[in-house]
Amino acid sequence: MISVSRVTRLLLAVMLTGLLPGCGPAHVVVEGKFPAPLIEPLPMTLGVWYGDDFAGHEFFDESKSRQESSWIVSTGVAQVQMWNTLLDGMFTKVVQLTRPPSAGQPVANVDAILVPHVEELQYAIPRHTKVKVYEIWMRYRFELLSAGGTPVAEWNMTSYGKTPTGFLQSDQEAVNLAAVMALRDAGANFATNFTRVPAVRNWLQEQGVQTESVSP
Amino acid sequence: MMALSLRTVFYCVGIPLLSACVTATVDEMVYNKPTAGLGGDSVVILGRRHASDYETEPDFVRCVGDYIASGDNSITVIDELEFLNAVYPWFEPRTAPLHPVDIERLLRQEPVAEKMAALKVEYMIWLDGSTERTGGSGSMACSLGGCFGFGTWSHDANYEATIWDFTDKTAVGHVNTSATGQSYMPAVIVPIPIIAPVQGTACDGIGQQLLEFLSSEQ
Repeated sequence: MISVSRVTRLLLAVMLTGLLPGCGPAHVVVEGKFPAPLIEPLPMTLGVWYGDDFAGHEFFDESKSRQESSWIVSTGVAQVQMWNTLLDGMFTKVVQLTRPPSAGQPVANVDAILVPHVEELQYAIPRHTKVKVYEIWMRYRFELLSAGGTPVAEWNMTSYGKTPTGFLQSDQEAVNLAAVMALRDAGANFATNFTRVPAVRNWLQEQGVQTESVSP
Repeated sequence: MMALSLRTVFYCVGIPLLSACVTATVDEMVYNKPTAGLGGDSVVILGRRHASDYETEPDFVRCVGDYIASGDNSITVIDELEFLNAVYPWFEPRTAPLHPVDIERLLRQEPVAEKMAALKVEYMIWLDGSTERTGGSGSMACSLGGCFGFGTWSHDANYEATIWDFTDKTAVGHVNTSATGQSYMPAVIVPIPIIAPVQGTACDGIGQQLLEFLSSEQ
């Protein structure tokens, strides 16, 4: 038989357990659908390596006051999904590498290897800015290597996504939508500017790859 | 041929004693109206998303598209997201053409030209603007016995539609609409929101003008 004090303790425990999620960080696992690019593919085979820091990319922002909550924004899965779709449409063939590229170990049957990194992610919600949009900003760093693993080019690229406040829309849903917009913007920026990166353009010319101007 | 019109609409919704009112003004400037409708061609309505402090709401873009499609069954309105995905990455905020002459450069790319031909886009309508909450007053206190008090707030909607002729690569019309409305929420035990349909009124105003422009039946 359960005593009254035990029932009280159980009820208290259940109530506290119910309250705990409200105290934890707001967690957003970014999910979205990404379209293939409408672009003439570059006639080359690209190897791509997603490091653990990229494929499992997660952003953590600790709250600065008791009124705010901490945030975890996991973009890794969506990053890989978006970049796979984009690169598949940008190059005639894309090969996902199973081990990291290195100078001493050439990769067979590829013309070049791309290694993307997410260097920085920032977010803003209307409570922070008093502006009625949710925003995500990302900074990428790309390394383009030859099949032999020697550096060809290295450059930075930014992307930005925002979404307006919506009726009955939670902060998490809006941050997810802003992140999806930022990923789309990253794809648009990369697709329209890849052949304009000076070191990339020179290397493509050396390889005899025709590059059409794809200015927006 | 150029036509210019200005209309002001004023109407109220709610209960007779306490109603929420909206005032809307629509400006229209048209240069080359199609004389025989769109035929088998289609129209796409897109929101401008360049500004840093606001976004043209996707709901508003959808509302205007639905208004036009329901007003004339012969007009094919392509869904905004469907179009953006079909022509990705060329109509993203970073890459979207800002002037009709930019279309020419875009169509130099074979895959884009082929896609546009397949979609049969004759008119591209850009919507730019947003609905903002501009002020509020009153107070309300709620307890286990219910809520007591009174609150009021207002919304301003300002939108501009720019119509591009995709064949001639020129702007052929502009429609501006602005709407203002006051919403109320009295509470005696139960709060009763009386919401002014500001964005909906702006949608109807701009939608009607665009429908008159595009439709052969109007």
